Amino acid sequence: MSESFRGSSGRKVISRATASEVGSVGHLLVDAQQRRVAAVVIGRGKKAQLVDWAQLSGFGPDAVMVADENVLRPPADDRERAATEGDLELVGKRALTERGNELGQIDDVTFDNDTGVLEDLLIGNRRVPAGSLLGSGSYAVVVDESQETSP
Amino acid sequence: MRLLMTASQIRGLPVVTVGGGEDVAEVRDVIYSPEEGRLVGVTLNKRGFLAGRSRDALPAEAIHAIGQNAVMVLDESSLVAPQDAPDDVGRPATERNVIGDDVLTEGGTSLGKVTDLVLLVGSTGEVVGYQIDKDGGGRGYIPLPAQLSVSGVALVVPNVTEEFVQDDLVGLGASVDEFRARMGLT
Repeated sequence: MSESFRGSSGRKVISRATASEVGSVGHLLVDAQQRRVAAVVIGRGKKAQLVDWAQLSGFGPDAVMVADENVLRPPADDRERAATEGDLELVGKRALTERGNELGQIDDVTFDNDTGVLEDLLIGNRRVPAGSLLGSGSYAVVVDESQETSP
Repeated sequence: MRLLMTASQIRGLPVVTVGGGEDVAEVRDVIYSPEEGRLVGVTLNKRGFLAGRSRDALPAEAIHAIGQNAVMVLDESSLVAPQDAPDDVGRPATERNVIGDDVLTEGGTSLGKVTDLVLLVGSTGEVVGYQIDKDGGGRGYIPLPAQLSVSGVALVVPNVTEEFVQDDLVGLGASVDEFRARMGLT
């Protein structure tokens, strides 16, 4: 099923073991090279934690399920720390083509909730297939030149 | 349509990595070889908290693309320390600066003074023209042949250039091909 970054923000994260809420989805960290969701960021700032996509037991429409609280972990490197600070959040980020021209801001991103594979980037009224994604960082998301608007 | 930008429009653009989406520097100035009519590279400023002059430079060969909103490089290794850069990038000769030079035709007519460079942006950054303050007043744009003689006070262009003085960048973009065809360059 197709899910969106915006739509899943704030969704409860529930431990299967205790049936209790362990947090809520802050945003999703992507692996631009693999074009998929790498991890769920829970909370924001110093206390934020991550759950690797592979550790989820389900990304459902009403709750994100994890086995237990122990799968939540602190950021492991600089990139993950930047993610917990919110610096790598895709929604709201400027999108550049590899030719150095700006397409606009990313309004939303859709993905397959079963596999975590990214589907489309929504930029204004344009739908950019995730296959065009080349890189993503704190300054911009970069997409390939096939997304250049013909003048 | 070809996209033309002046060197002043390129100054201040962020330098962004294609693979990383990070702004690793910004353009301080363009380094230009008037004899060859090409961009040699750009000098850089740092971004963010450490803002200020960077010692690193970006050779033209390492530029992935120049666009309206950013200069793109593949990754941070494209930025090189001055001692690792080709001489014309690491230690650009200041006397190469053509800004303020008189533009003279071979016939001896002055067209105006150079105020800026015009580059064909995209993957190469070829310099295709100059912005000038026309002697009669107002701003104009002239196309360039691939090579020309330049002294530091004046540069000499073919007589036919006078017919190709344009009022804006769009006009210049449209006339560059025709100009070069007339010069037998294409």
